[in-house]
Amino acid sequence: MNERLEPALARVLQVGTYVSMGLVALGTLLFIAGGGSPLDGGPVLDLARFPADLAAGRPTAILWLGVLGTLLTPGLRVVGAMVGFARAGEWRMVGIAVAIIAVVGVGIVAGLVTG
Amino acid sequence: MEVGLLMLVGGVAAGLFGSLLGLGGGLLIVPLLTLGFGLPLRESVGVSLVCVIVTSSASAGIFLQRRQADLRLGMTLELFTAMGAIAGGLFAFLLDERVLAALFAGLLVYVAVTMARASTAAGSTTQNADRPAGPPYRRLPAAIVGSVGAGVFSALLGVGGGTVKVPVMHLLMGIPLRVATATSNLMIGITASASAFVYLIRGGIDVYAVGPTAVGVFIGATIGSRFGGRVHVRVLRLLFVVVLLFTAFEMARRAAFGA
Repeated sequence: MNERLEPALARVLQVGTYVSMGLVALGTLLFIAGGGSPLDGGPVLDLARFPADLAAGRPTAILWLGVLGTLLTPGLRVVGAMVGFARAGEWRMVGIAVAIIAVVGVGIVAGLVTG
Repeated sequence: MEVGLLMLVGGVAAGLFGSLLGLGGGLLIVPLLTLGFGLPLRESVGVSLVCVIVTSSASAGIFLQRRQADLRLGMTLELFTAMGAIAGGLFAFLLDERVLAALFAGLLVYVAVTMARASTAAGSTTQNADRPAGPPYRRLPAAIVGSVGAGVFSALLGVGGGTVKVPVMHLLMGIPLRVATATSNLMIGITASASAFVYLIRGGIDVYAVGPTAVGVFIGATIGSRFGGRVHVRVLRLLFVVVLLFTAFEMARRAAFGA
């Protein structure tokens, strides 16, 4: 296996976590500074409104962006591993990585269908 | 403002304890939000899953850099923990919250007893190798079954599932304890994110509660991972056992008599 794969995946995880937590912290500070409370009951993520809310700098949208970044970071690590294993010709591991991404995708679809 | 600060401090404590004792923060976050802040149990589980991903990603990065985590084994097993997590995430919305509270109380008692036994046997767990040996792996089919169970368990209760994954790898497959712990940490991210997406889509993640709690957990876990070596873990472990048993009692009371 490529010797640089594991350090590269480590960087993906660390950068993803730091950026996501930075966004969550910023969104939380803006939300609380605006008089909100963590016990107000957060809204459900509305994907149709999300880009406009984010462009307007709304704290809730910034918070959601941080949460989405957190949720996607482990998946990015799997994608990175898939690329690394493909370069090394480890096709069995590439297949496993593809299967993991497919399973997470099935989970998202299942959530949408049953939600 | 005060509530936000209290959640932040609670998150720091959960992250610190979790990091020092090698557990995810989920064991403390769910009771903290449910018993301390009155959040519904299912929403607390959703918030906890996000926090568990944060601690997993941060610590797995360090373990990968040190080459302590077995990437191949982790990816092979996380395929099955993710399957279990999706099933658990869907099932969680069908279960009564009192049943979830009872399951959580049972989990806390199990972890408390396991930790108490480890404390009294301190010194006998001098685990050896801290580098993965790689394939071939022993008893992989049985470990796959255990991994599906760990995924269901993680999604139902908002924990990382390390309490199942580490024994499966260490006791069943003969993976050295440090490698099993590091690999479990790596797997937790995908396990928790698979079910967290189900919670997210079904409105089970309260983004306002996530904010201060996740930032607190991140700060606590970072402090814990930097200063862990200087702390007397045996005393801390006994203190933690007391906290877990008290929390288990409160969760059991909630299961029996409702909120």
